[in-house]
Amino acid sequence: MLAGIDYFIVIAYIVGMLLLGLYFKKFVNSSEDYFLGGKSLPFWAIGMSIVVSDIGALDFVGVSGQAYRYGVSVGNFDWVGSVPAMLLAAFIFIPYFWKGGMYTIPEYLGRRYNKSVRTIASATWILFFALDLGVLFWASAVLLNVLMGWPIWISILSTAGVVGLYTYFGGITAVIMTDVVQMIIMFIGGFALVFLGLHAVGGWDNMVEKIATMGPEYQSHFDIIQPSDTSSPFPWTGILFGLTFVMANAYMIGNQSIVQRCLTAKNEWHAKASMIFGSALKMFIPILVLFPGLMAVVVHPDLADGDQALPMMIKSILPPGLVGLMFAAFFAGLMSSVDSLLNSTATLFTKDIYEPFIKKGASDKHYLKVGQITTLALLVFGVATSPISSDFPGIYVAIQTFMSYFQGPLFAILLLGIFWKRTTQWGGLSALVIGIAFAVFLNVFKEQFFHIEDPFLYISWWSFLVAFIINITVSLLTKKHSEERLKGLVFSSKIVMKTKTV
Amino acid sequence: MLNFDWASDIPQETAKMIFFGLYLVIGAFVMLLPNEYIYEGVPKEERFWYNNLKIWSAVVLGILATVYYLF
Repeated sequence: MLAGIDYFIVIAYIVGMLLLGLYFKKFVNSSEDYFLGGKSLPFWAIGMSIVVSDIGALDFVGVSGQAYRYGVSVGNFDWVGSVPAMLLAAFIFIPYFWKGGMYTIPEYLGRRYNKSVRTIASATWILFFALDLGVLFWASAVLLNVLMGWPIWISILSTAGVVGLYTYFGGITAVIMTDVVQMIIMFIGGFALVFLGLHAVGGWDNMVEKIATMGPEYQSHFDIIQPSDTSSPFPWTGILFGLTFVMANAYMIGNQSIVQRCLTAKNEWHAKASMIFGSALKMFIPILVLFPGLMAVVVHPDLADGDQALPMMIKSILPPGLVGLMFAAFFAGLMSSVDSLLNSTATLFTKDIYEPFIKKGASDKHYLKVGQITTLALLVFGVATSPISSDFPGIYVAIQTFMSYFQGPLFAILLLGIFWKRTTQWGGLSALVIGIAFAVFLNVFKEQFFHIEDPFLYISWWSFLVAFIINITVSLLTKKHSEERLKGLVFSSKIVMKTKTV
Repeated sequence: MLNFDWASDIPQETAKMIFFGLYLVIGAFVMLLPNEYIYEGVPKEERFWYNNLKIWSAVVLGILATVYYLF
């Protein structure tokens, strides 16, 4: 499928990323450098990194496929499902975490609630991230195998080698700065496909007109708000309650790999600005991933599987050179997801598990070494577990789904923890445990409870609500925390009015 | 109840207005934040209109509202 020029672009991209990542090795002298980039990074780099980490190659294919089947309503995930949450994160949560000098979200939960909450939250993230690694290695190997003809194991080892090397040596600075280049490549490749695709379908108006005349199932393809009784997974009630109120906030405020980036900012303004800048860039993502799916409805109307929409559009529309660029964009998505997982998991393990439970009070150099060795161990674990994806093709969706069930309860305890002084450690712990158990219960019996195809948005909302109520109830029944213990951990209007007091 | 059956009578246009309302509420929240908090981290002599995060937020929310108006 690839021409000579495409091979050249892909290999130049991979080598370029390796060299760029390794360049940042010289800035790593302490654990703060490794995990927080020495708190020296500018908003634009962090904002770009947030965006590119959030979108992987699997999402490119998956979202295009969903746009092919359900239309523009898929765009809700990057529009209302990101922007409001990012603004709230920028002005409420991120300044707290940044000022508090935190490394991880579970660290905040540990200070606000107790060690058990911190450990459960951290262990859950570590487990999900580690399992995700193997899936992503397999996905990148399949891409390299199909397009470059490389054997699967050579592909896995080369991806792990390149990403592993720069993440191991350069830490989060290397991760963020390579993400910047990866985002630029992703945008160039994505927009090239959109412009050429629009040309192929005779322009936007022509495409809308053609799709509208293709039958009743396409009548709501351009309605971003779907009725609450739609059979698609995106009813407006699910988008509002499950996505906008819960999942988006949980993701932007509670996801270690996102928040950790903002904590690398050089000052509080850059931390806030990074989220807002990221939200502006985020609004372009649906254009890159959704529009090709819509265009494929016109160009390839009889696809049996919507997930073929993007590969078919690349194959039929892009000329040599741009195919290589688009493939580099795919690969950029995968690499940015892998490096984020590696660095965030290493941070979670070192700060939330190793430091409190295995070796307290060691030297900074020791924790830096632990972070690097954890990165290496994760790399080996990811490579070793990657064949699981070939035996269980649905594992990626399964991991993502279960991760979404963890997010409702997590957001409930974060929200109450920061806004309600009366919340206690036992309220938080019981809310987290019961909330996750309730989400799993709803998922197991989803056919009995829900009408729509995949009710993950509704499950997020109801598990959030249950965790929220449990937290309030148990907190009211248990001893409240002292003012001294809550200092700097609970939102107060005084902190906004007199920012120097924190 | 778990399926939000009560919302099935709400027209899509009304639902869309709920989303616009949400953007307005968030916009109002940001606008009400003190400038001192918005600029925290920027030295006083370097506080210009282009690093006012209220303006950034207003632009982002404006684009978002336009997208929902168009679709």
